[in-house]
Amino acid sequence: MAADNPIDPIHQFEISKIADIQLGGIDISFTNSSLFMVFALAATMALFVIGLSKKSIIPNRMQMLSELSYNFIANMLRDQVGDQGRAYFPFIFSLFMFIFFCNFIGLIPYTFTVTSHLIVTFAFAGLIFIAVTIIGFVKNGLGYLRIFYPSGIPIFLAPLIVPIEIISYLSKPISLSVRLCANMLAGHSILKIFAGFIVMLGFLGFAPLVFLVVLYALETLIAALQAYIFTILTCIYLNDALHPDH
Amino acid sequence: MKILLKAFLLTAPINFAYAAEGQKSAGLPQMDIATFPSQLFWLVITFSLLYLFMWKFVIPRLGATIEERRDKISNDINDADNLNTEATDILKKYDEQMASASQESNEIITNSKKAMLDHLETLKKENEEKVNSLISESQAKIKAQEEKSKIEIRNATLDTVKAIVSRYIENIPSDEEINKKLN
Repeated sequence: MAADNPIDPIHQFEISKIADIQLGGIDISFTNSSLFMVFALAATMALFVIGLSKKSIIPNRMQMLSELSYNFIANMLRDQVGDQGRAYFPFIFSLFMFIFFCNFIGLIPYTFTVTSHLIVTFAFAGLIFIAVTIIGFVKNGLGYLRIFYPSGIPIFLAPLIVPIEIISYLSKPISLSVRLCANMLAGHSILKIFAGFIVMLGFLGFAPLVFLVVLYALETLIAALQAYIFTILTCIYLNDALHPDH
Repeated sequence: MKILLKAFLLTAPINFAYAAEGQKSAGLPQMDIATFPSQLFWLVITFSLLYLFMWKFVIPRLGATIEERRDKISNDINDADNLNTEATDILKKYDEQMASASQESNEIITNSKKAMLDHLETLKKENEEKVNSLISESQAKIKAQEEKSKIEIRNATLDTVKAIVSRYIENIPSDEEINKKLN
């Protein structure tokens, strides 16, 4: 069985049941994926509960960390969307913290990366896509359709531009979800493959080990970067929905 | 890199074999639709909890803390500004006072200088007058003494001449005659 092989790079993405739960014939078992979702939730909660336990004017390290993340996302939202984005701040902030911790917890050996599963990232991207479309139509009415025909384009180009814009709009959730998922999947697979080389090469294993260390640093960067990209793209889509003229 | 390549080529068949075996059993775990309901279900639960936690707990408290700090900082800056203007006012007053004081002292200096010079001048004049009077007095005295001496010398000469003449001649010449001869 591949699942028993220690150097199978795909093994780490396998979902195994921890508690079997069936609801109306649907399998909603508590799996390792669910466990690491709970871990990401717990890590976020821990950060903020500890960070906010002693609210002081001069913050300690944990409070500093929680305030830094708060200000980071708040500034991102303000820069991208403006003051109208305020209402969506809890969602954007939760989204960033959840993806950030899922990505980072996944970097620890023998853990599971929740965001390496397309269905999870697609659930987020799909939710964002639907929400943004609804917000767009609620705030602008049919005027939201203007995003498919950018201002300043000559009318004879419309038959060309409008279908392209529609396709690009519809492909947003796909690109958003695949970008995150593929980054996590590829990065973790390569890490595992090189870790396997270390074992297989014996004393020559130091060569892939050095490479693995560099790669791990890169993956750490990617874990933070992909959480950032996912969040900032969400902000950009939200801005498009709120201000379709720009 | 050569070693790495060699290692990869050596292990590739094994890896591919495992991959193939894996595919036979389950394929890519990401494509296993049977796990989707469970993942979505738990994602909804955990993310909803996270959202509630952020919305109800984190954001109000963090926002309040940050707001409070911003208020405190702006208050402190205001206080500092007030103190600063106060300090500049005091400095201005001090400068003004310094300027008036130095002007006053300059006046005093010039006045006292003038007074001193005046005093010196009067003293000089007085002394000069004194000296001049003394000089003229002395000159007068000297002149008087001179006159007196002249007369005395003449008288003495007269007497001497009379005495000498009286020895040889009976007829003693009168004073006028002797004076005539002396002159």
